[in-house]
Formats: sequence, C-alpha cells, structure tokens
Amino acid sequence: MTRRSVEVREFLMRLEWAAAKLERDVAFMEVCGTHTVNAFRCGLHSLMPPNVTLLSGPGCPVCVTAQGDVDQMIHLAGRPGVTLCTYGDMLRVTGSHSSLELERTRGADIRVIYSAMDAVKLAADEPRREVVLAAVGFETTAPATAIAVLEAHRRGLKNFSALVTHKLVLPAMRALLDGVPVKLDGFLCPGHVSVIIGAEVYRPIVEKYGKPCVIVGFEDLQLAAGLCRLVELALDGTPRLENLYPQAVSPRGNARALEVLERVFEPVEARWRGLAAIPASGLGLRAKWSQYDAARKFGLEAVDAPEPPGCRCGEVITGQCTPHDCTLFGTACTPVRPIGPCMVSSEGTCQAWFKYKRARTAKHEYVKT
Amino acid sequence: MCLAVPAKLVELRADAAVADLHGNRVEVNTMLTPEVKVGDWVLIHAGFAIQQLDCRTVEDTFAVLEDLRQRTEGGGHDPAKR
Repeated sequence: MTRRSVEVREFLMRLEWAAAKLERDVAFMEVCGTHTVNAFRCGLHSLMPPNVTLLSGPGCPVCVTAQGDVDQMIHLAGRPGVTLCTYGDMLRVTGSHSSLELERTRGADIRVIYSAMDAVKLAADEPRREVVLAAVGFETTAPATAIAVLEAHRRGLKNFSALVTHKLVLPAMRALLDGVPVKLDGFLCPGHVSVIIGAEVYRPIVEKYGKPCVIVGFEDLQLAAGLCRLVELALDGTPRLENLYPQAVSPRGNARALEVLERVFEPVEARWRGLAAIPASGLGLRAKWSQYDAARKFGLEAVDAPEPPGCRCGEVITGQCTPHDCTLFGTACTPVRPIGPCMVSSEGTCQAWFKYKRARTAKHEYVKT
Repeated sequence: MCLAVPAKLVELRADAAVADLHGNRVEVNTMLTPEVKVGDWVLIHAGFAIQQLDCRTVEDTFAVLEDLRQRTEGGGHDPAKR
C-alpha cells in the first residue's frame, strides 16, 4: 500500500467516525463535472457511510446549457458561410431537432477546437468565412473567450464573433439554496473555477446560508479529504470555508483573468437547464465589444425550448432525482445514443452513473426534504 | 470541461509558450499568467496557462501517476499488488 492510499484511508476513517457521531443523514454537493467523474472513478460513492450522500450539482457546462441555447448553436452552424468552432463536449448534444454532429454530416462547417485562439486563427486564415466561437463553460473557460475577442479586435478581424453562453458558478449555488427543494449540508467547491475566481467568493454561502464550503482538487486524496472535512464541519456545527487546494487556488483568484473578464464581459441573466433563468448568472459581451456578439450579428432571438420528452437532466443536475429515476436512463438514453446532455458529456452525471453505477442499489435514492 | 493539466514551460515567446506535457510539446498561451518563466510548472486549460503551480505538488502528482502506470503494466488487476 502506498503512502497515498494510507492517507486516503485515514481520511475515510475520520469521515466514518464523524458520520457515526452525526446520527443524521447529510448530503453534500459537488458543482464540477470533473469532480462528478473522479468521485465515481475512485469509488468514493461506494465508500460513503449510509448517512452520507454526495450529490452532483450543475457543474458540467454542457449539461447546464439550456435547450434554447443549444438550438441557437445548431441553427447558426447551418447558416451558409458560417464556420462554427466548438469544444468537443458540445458536438453530440441534441437540440430540439438536431445536433452539431448531425449538422456536420449534412455539410455544416463545424470545427472542434482545443483553444478559443484556434477560432481567431481560423478567422484570420479564412477571411471569407464567418467564424463563430461557441463560447460555453464556466469561469475557467471564459477568460480564454475574452482573450480571443481582444485578439480578434487587435487583428481587426471582422469575420470573428462569439455566441456566448458562459455561466457563473456562484449564482447557481445560491439559486440551488434559494429555490430547489433539496436538502444540502455543504458544498465541495470546484478546483479550477476557483483558480480563477478565488476562494473568498464562497464566503457568503458560508456566512449567509450557513453551508460549509470546501475547495478541493481532483485526485482521490483531495476528494476524500474534502468530504471528510465536510462531515466533520457538519458534526461541529460550525460552517467554514476551507481551501484544500492552495497549491492552485489563492484567496482572490487569478487577478489577470478576472481583469480580462471584467473588461470584456458583464453579468447578464442566463438560462440554465434545471434552474431556468437566473439574473446575473451568465456573462455577456459589454457594449464596447458588441460587434463580436454572434447573437447580435446574426439577429438570433433568445428562445425557450422544452427539454427532450421524458428527459430529466434538469432534475438530475440539481440533485432532485438520480439518473435511475429517469425512465430513459440506460434504455432509450445511453452514451452511444444519448438523449439528454448529461449522458452526452463525459463529465455528465448520467454518463458517470451509466459507467459506474448502472445497477440499482439500496443507496441510490437522494436525501430529500 | 474545466479539466486542467500540469505542464512544464520549456520555451517562452511574447504571450506564447511551449510546454512539455509528459513528453508532448504543446503551445500554450500565457496571457493569463504573465509572470511565468521557463522551467515553471503551470496548469493548462484549453490552451491557456491559468495558474502557476508549486513544483513540489506537481512532482507528487506525477509520482502517483507513475506508480499507477507501473502497477498497471506490472500486475494488471492482481488485488495483492494494489
């Protein structure tokens, strides 16, 4: 046994001891797709005592993108002269009538990019094409979009624009606590979003809502330590903010990234799958940069579109039900033929459950109020 | 999607850099971490260095990955070797 496995085991033993002392059910939520997958991958769910549940929240950017926004991307990709640049995660997400992957087989020019700067380079290389960046993601990804817009401006590119659906983690956490009927005892906060926004931004969740927040990285040791601290804080009854990922996350975040975000974007109301529209929960381009706003450039109207019939992704990503409660899960909806976005994304809750927890077990029910 | 990986910077140009990502050379944009130098470890997300890292942490991470690799190559799923 390695030193590391000994450390993981020690945290799990502490967790078990604290959970036994608690004598009540507790549920914590992670709000990061990578945490969702890694918690399953390292078997943490199966190691939790019966009264401790880890829920997956709205932390996968693909999964939280509203159906109407997915439809807009697909619609734009089908326009003549448009080249849509997307991160690979969005390719297979199904809109109301199609997906980017399907549109590509029909001849749409859709490129999978590694970095937002690839879209800028493409716009420079192909001046006759209208290059649109499908700007999806949380605060980790948004600074790259901001820099891409600034770079397009510096180069004087008129054929570059971004369809921005960036989301902010904190308003979603508040919306969950304010409006979703799920009992939460604390949050396992996302590591890389926190690299950008800093640890201190979670303090209102701790002070106003009385919910402990523990920031962790992505390895087994970090996840086990984070859950251990959440259970211990629940036992102590003293909500606190703890940063267990200080090697990457500072109290105030990445100042340069925050400055770039502030310069290019402003907070706007955003539509979330499962949480509807939340004021100031997304990022929109400031008026100064509106010439790079694809929605404005192509006259796209914000539309609400219903989720696929029978799909419960919205409830899954807010902890209101488990994938097993969805009749489509593992039958009509599988990773090969996904219906909802949580089954499409490799970080989606449904895909994680399909891979690691497909069999129904006694402990698949979430704790509800 | 917020996946980020640690890599070591091996070349630095104006606002662009080359990083060694476990043997692969990748181009990295350093506009979000303007203070970095050649030899620094950074966290890379979608082509951008989003944070400079403490090198001891990175070495710890790679030690674990190497340990896993050796176990996979050497022992497969033998529970005795876990």
